[in-house]
Amino acid sequence: MQVSRRTALKQVLMVSAGIALLPSCLHTTPATLKLKNLDVNGDDEKMLEELTATIIPTTKTPGAREVKAQQFALTMIDDCFNKEAQQKWMTGMKEFEALCKKQTGHSFVNSTPAERESLLQSLEKEEGPAAHFYKVTKRLTIQAYTNSEYYLTKVEEYELVPARFHGSIPVKDLTKKTL
Amino acid sequence: MANINTSAKDRTFDAIVIGSGISGGWAAKEFTEKGLKTLVLERGRDVKHLKDYPTTNMYPWEFPHRGQIPEAIKAENPSISRCYAFKEDAMHFFVKDKEHPYIQDKPFDLIRGYQVGGKSLMWARQTQRWSNFDFEGPARDGFAVDWPIRYEDIAPWYSYVEKFVGISGNKDGIPNLPDGEFLPAMDLTRVETYFKDFVAANYKDRHVIYGRCAHLSEPQPIHIEQGRVKCQKRNLCQRGCPFGGYFSSNSSTLPWAEKTGNLTMRPFSVVHSIIYDEKKGKATGVRVVDTNTKEMTEYYANVIFVNAAAVNTNLILLNSVSNRFPQGLGNDSGVLGKYFAFHNYRGHISAQYDGFKDITTDGRRPTSAYLPRFRNVQKQETDFLRGYAAGFDGGRRLTSDNSGFGVGLKDKLSNEELGPWYVGSHMMGETIPKEESQLTLDKTSKDEWGIPTLHINVGYDDNDEKMLKDFFEQMTEMYTKAGFTNIQTSDSHQAPGLDIHEMGGVRMGHDPKTSMLNKWNQLHACTNVYVTDGACMTSTSTQNPSLTYMALTARAVDHAVSSLKKGDI
Repeated sequence: MQVSRRTALKQVLMVSAGIALLPSCLHTTPATLKLKNLDVNGDDEKMLEELTATIIPTTKTPGAREVKAQQFALTMIDDCFNKEAQQKWMTGMKEFEALCKKQTGHSFVNSTPAERESLLQSLEKEEGPAAHFYKVTKRLTIQAYTNSEYYLTKVEEYELVPARFHGSIPVKDLTKKTL
Repeated sequence: MANINTSAKDRTFDAIVIGSGISGGWAAKEFTEKGLKTLVLERGRDVKHLKDYPTTNMYPWEFPHRGQIPEAIKAENPSISRCYAFKEDAMHFFVKDKEHPYIQDKPFDLIRGYQVGGKSLMWARQTQRWSNFDFEGPARDGFAVDWPIRYEDIAPWYSYVEKFVGISGNKDGIPNLPDGEFLPAMDLTRVETYFKDFVAANYKDRHVIYGRCAHLSEPQPIHIEQGRVKCQKRNLCQRGCPFGGYFSSNSSTLPWAEKTGNLTMRPFSVVHSIIYDEKKGKATGVRVVDTNTKEMTEYYANVIFVNAAAVNTNLILLNSVSNRFPQGLGNDSGVLGKYFAFHNYRGHISAQYDGFKDITTDGRRPTSAYLPRFRNVQKQETDFLRGYAAGFDGGRRLTSDNSGFGVGLKDKLSNEELGPWYVGSHMMGETIPKEESQLTLDKTSKDEWGIPTLHINVGYDDNDEKMLKDFFEQMTEMYTKAGFTNIQTSDSHQAPGLDIHEMGGVRMGHDPKTSMLNKWNQLHACTNVYVTDGACMTSTSTQNPSLTYMALTARAVDHAVSSLKKGDI
């Protein structure tokens, strides 16, 4: 059988794709996001999702989970942080997981809500690498939430076409919060 | 579109305009309205009004980085990344550093917009007239050369362009900031009105006014005819406005010129040089490099307007060498490229005001308040020359305490409260044009269009440092007396260029021995070439300069067309 150039190329690509995936398959699932700089896997991503959901939980209204805050945080760190800041955040993430294991005996994902809260409570007041990771992630979580479609349509309305400007209006006359 | 194979006749026009930004757009409008077949050469791509504003209707959450520029782009393009308007929503309108390198003999962040419309798409839209206190500055204070024009020469042209552009403003009756043809002003905020009244009551000859801006607060028939409607106060101007609410070449002058049937727009056309004919004693056309094919083609016309933006206008003239003009076109005096200047935007001051707790603002506004220059106006009174204008902006923001996490944090974020009134000012200082502040061509390296790389050697001086100090002192004093608290001053130390008000190098003057252009913006030594962009500026004063470029351009085209009729050029 004659193998066309196209078929041959395809086979090569499939084989190399398999090789590229192999090592990470052995450990864990890959992250759902395609990242350029960060070495983050599916477990890390799941942990981030749980962390952001602890920072801004789902109540009767959407929280960090619904606005996919972990994906936004990863995108920002991957694209908009310099190498040094990325490294600091990654180191902090490992420390954060280690600290969680030390305090609770298991990973953040497997911790109870009470365990998670007690961990974050302590980090709010601390300075080290784990606290740094938590604070940066929290800042990005807040940014993701307050810039989400939900927040900017239901909580504080972002008006694309305000068509007005009043320079001096009594606060009590405002009927809604707008940006 | 003409190409290299077309005949010289097909490549001949009545007028050629180099550049399609704020001044080139005006040259195009004026020439075509007066019946001249006009070729506009634009080095960048075409940007059509409405059609080519890809981000204009995007919501904040639709930008993957919520406006921020990715680190990889910043690292590759340090200069443009420092520009306040280079954000995710408008980055496609700015030139990346590596797309057109230049040599910084001193730090200089050059901000460029290579597209039809140029920087008129992303400009800050502030439009303040000059007065004789500005035009007479160099003669009174003994720097640069005397301007060959006075306010009376340009005043009718200010009116002429203002009516077409649409300027929102108040008639303030301030001698050093003449009133113009205004559409209604928008509101000042409560704290701005407070500061305005405070300054009026406490300082003779200092004023806080509404910053006049190129926005249609109430469109007139002439604006509706352009297809523009009322400013909707979106404050997303840098993306291109679907309402034509602010003035740009794309929304206004260029479509107007196109309607006459006399306009030929040629994007992707880098002007290499102007062709000088020694026998005729004048310029006959331009050499153009097509950015796609890299082929060079000549285009011809009786009159040429150079509106390539200040730096590139200098570059074109410096590169237009001939036996008659070995140092650059019209450069008998040797001043071409010299006496380059800019505006000092280094100083910022911010504070807060704890009154008016029950008052706020509603909606958005595309301008702010403005303090016209108050230093050294009537006479010299400080240890530095000239002075500065300042912006003044005050409002309230929704804020929350972001401590903690969980339901508590979510509640706080969902119930943000109005913070105190913030106030802030930035400095717009006049800088003194100096001989050593100059643009020159590199002897060896060339850009990808075969044009020598440009050296920029422009910096701050002692006068600028003294003025910056005075800005901090005077503003701090006014803020303190007005009862503002938490006053913070900061020096951005930004390089020249980031003000995006680069001016000079082809200055106007009476004397061909010390200047390049006469009082009509014609090259003294080659009178069918006119320069009416920032390069023509003899001094910089403090006002945002675009309105003056537009007025000078309309005036110069009027002169060029009557000179052509009389056979003078």
